[in-house]
Amino acid sequence: MCSNWLTRLNRHNRRLDPDIDDNQQLHRTPRMTHPIIRFDHATFGFPGTVALEDISLSIPESEFVGVIGPNGSGKTTLCRAVLGLMAPVSGTLRVLDCACEELRCHHRALIGYLPQKGMLDRNFPVTVLEAVMMGRYGALGLFRRPSGKDRDIARQALAQVGMDHHRDSALGALSGGQQQRVFIARALAQQPRILLLDEPTTGLDLTAQHSVVELIEQLHHELKLTILMITHDINMIRSRVDRLVLLKTRLFAAGPPQDVLKPEILSQVYGKELVITDKDLIIVEDYHHHH
Amino acid sequence: MLRASRLRETMLELLAYDFMQRSLLAAALVGAVCSVIGVFVVLRGLAFAGAGTAHAAFAGVTLAYLLGLPPLSLAIVFGLATVWITGWVEEKGRMKLDVSIGILYTATMALAILFLGLMKTYNPEVYGYLFGSVLSVTTEELLTIGGLSIVVLGTILLLSKELYFIAFDQEMAAASGVPARQIFYLLLTLVALTVVIALKTVGAILVFAMILIPASTAYQLTHSLTQMTLYSVLIGIFCAVTGVLLSYAFDLPSGPSIVLLATSLFFLAVCCSPKRLHRIQAE
Repeated sequence: MCSNWLTRLNRHNRRLDPDIDDNQQLHRTPRMTHPIIRFDHATFGFPGTVALEDISLSIPESEFVGVIGPNGSGKTTLCRAVLGLMAPVSGTLRVLDCACEELRCHHRALIGYLPQKGMLDRNFPVTVLEAVMMGRYGALGLFRRPSGKDRDIARQALAQVGMDHHRDSALGALSGGQQQRVFIARALAQQPRILLLDEPTTGLDLTAQHSVVELIEQLHHELKLTILMITHDINMIRSRVDRLVLLKTRLFAAGPPQDVLKPEILSQVYGKELVITDKDLIIVEDYHHHH
Repeated sequence: MLRASRLRETMLELLAYDFMQRSLLAAALVGAVCSVIGVFVVLRGLAFAGAGTAHAAFAGVTLAYLLGLPPLSLAIVFGLATVWITGWVEEKGRMKLDVSIGILYTATMALAILFLGLMKTYNPEVYGYLFGSVLSVTTEELLTIGGLSIVVLGTILLLSKELYFIAFDQEMAAASGVPARQIFYLLLTLVALTVVIALKTVGAILVFAMILIPASTAYQLTHSLTQMTLYSVLIGIFCAVTGVLLSYAFDLPSGPSIVLLATSLFFLAVCCSPKRLHRIQAE
C-alpha cells in the first residue's frame, strides 16, 4: 500500500472541488519535493522479450520532457508503464509517489493520457462535449452521475484548447487536428497533474502539427503540468522541452536538448538513418520512409 | 371514420384478453432491454459474440428439458460460460475472435441438437425457445422476464458512463482510472442475461436481431450517444409491441413479425440517414 495515500486522496478530492478556482488549486497544491515520476533500474517486457531495460530516470513536477527514439525503442511501453498498465519485471517505478502496480484508480485519474491517434470510426455517435465528459468519469468513480459542475469543468477544458464552440458537433466530423485538441481537452478534464502524450502530431498536416505543439507548450506554461511527450518529430519540440530522453530499449541519453541532440549520440541510436542538414535540421530516414 | 372506430374496438377487445396483456408486456420489456444493451454491443463490436451466446443458451434449454430442470436456469449457465470464454479469448488475443466464436457457436448448436435427439418424444415447448412464442408467455415467465429486466436495466442505468467509455475506447478508459476490464466482463454478463430474457419471446435464432437491429437503426440517425440510446429504446419497444399485434391480427409467427418489422425500419433509416446524406453532400 502507498504510505500516505489518504493524504493524497484528500488532496485529490480538494482538486475536484469545483468551488475552488483552477488557478487557486494549482498554487495551493504543494510542490512535491521528490520526483513525480521515478524509474529506478526498471526493466519492462513480456516473457522472452525485453521492451525497456534498466531505466533510471527522475522527472520532477512541472517539467516538460520529450521522449524520442526509433520505432520499437520502447517509447509506448514507457507510456503504458507510467499509466500503471504494465509493472516492471525488475527494478521499480514510482508515479505520484506510488509503486506502479499499486496505482489505484484515483491515481490514474491524475494522469491525463492522449493515446496514439488510432482510426476513429467517423460514424461513432459521440459529440465533442460527450467525448470530453469521459475525462471526468475516472475521477467521479462508479455509480456517481456527472453534475453540472463536471459539465463546467469539461467546457472549461474545451475552452482551453479553443474548441468550446464545437461542443455539440459530431467528433467524427472534425479534422484530425481538431480531434487531437478534443482528446487533449478530455485529458485536461481529468484535472491531471501529469499529461502523457503519445505521438500527438502523427497523421496531422504540417499546420495542424504546429498548432497542436504550440497548444501543448501553452498548456505547460499556463497550468504548470508535468508533460511527457513521445514524438518522432525532434525538430518540432527541441526548442520547447526542458529535457529530452533518448531511448533505444535502454536509456541512451537524458538532458537538455542541446546536450542530447549531438550527432555522435544520435548516430549511435539511429545509425545510417540519421541525416543532419546544414540548417541543423535532424532527419530520420526510417521514420519518413515508413510514414 | 368507420374503419378507425372498428380498429379501435378490435384493439380494446384484444387488450381485454389476459394472454394478450402478458404478451404485450413481455414484448415491451424484451424490446426495451434488447435495444438498450444493443447500443453497447454495436458500439463495442460484440455482435457476433452475442449470436454465439444465443445458441449456447438454447443448448442450455434443451439440456434442462432433458434433465427436468427449469429451462431458463441452464440457459443462463450456458450463456454466461460462452460469453465469458469469448471475452477471455478476445482479451488474451490468443486466437482470432471470429474463429473462437465460430467454434463455440457451432459446438453449442451441436450440443443442442444432440440433447434434442436424446429426448425420446417430440416436445413442442422446446421448439418455442428456438423460434419464439410470445403469445404463450405464462405469468411465471413474465415475472422472470420482469425480474431479469430490472437487473439488466438497473445495472446499465447505474454504470452507463463506464459502459459508454469502454465502448468508445477501452484502453483509454482503463488509463483514466475506470475499472475497464471488470466493466467489460459485466457487459458480457448483461448480454448473456438479455439473451435469456428474450429467448421465450423471439427465440434463440432471432434474439440477436432484436439486440442488433434497433441499436443499428438508431446509429444511423444521430451523432450523440444519449440520443442513440433513446432512439434505440423507442424503436425496440415499437417493433416488439407492433410485431405482436401484427402477428395476432394476421396469424403470423410472433418472432419473425417483430424482427422483420425492425429490419424494414433499419433499411428505411439507412436510406434516410442524416449522416449518410451529409456524407454524400460533402463528397
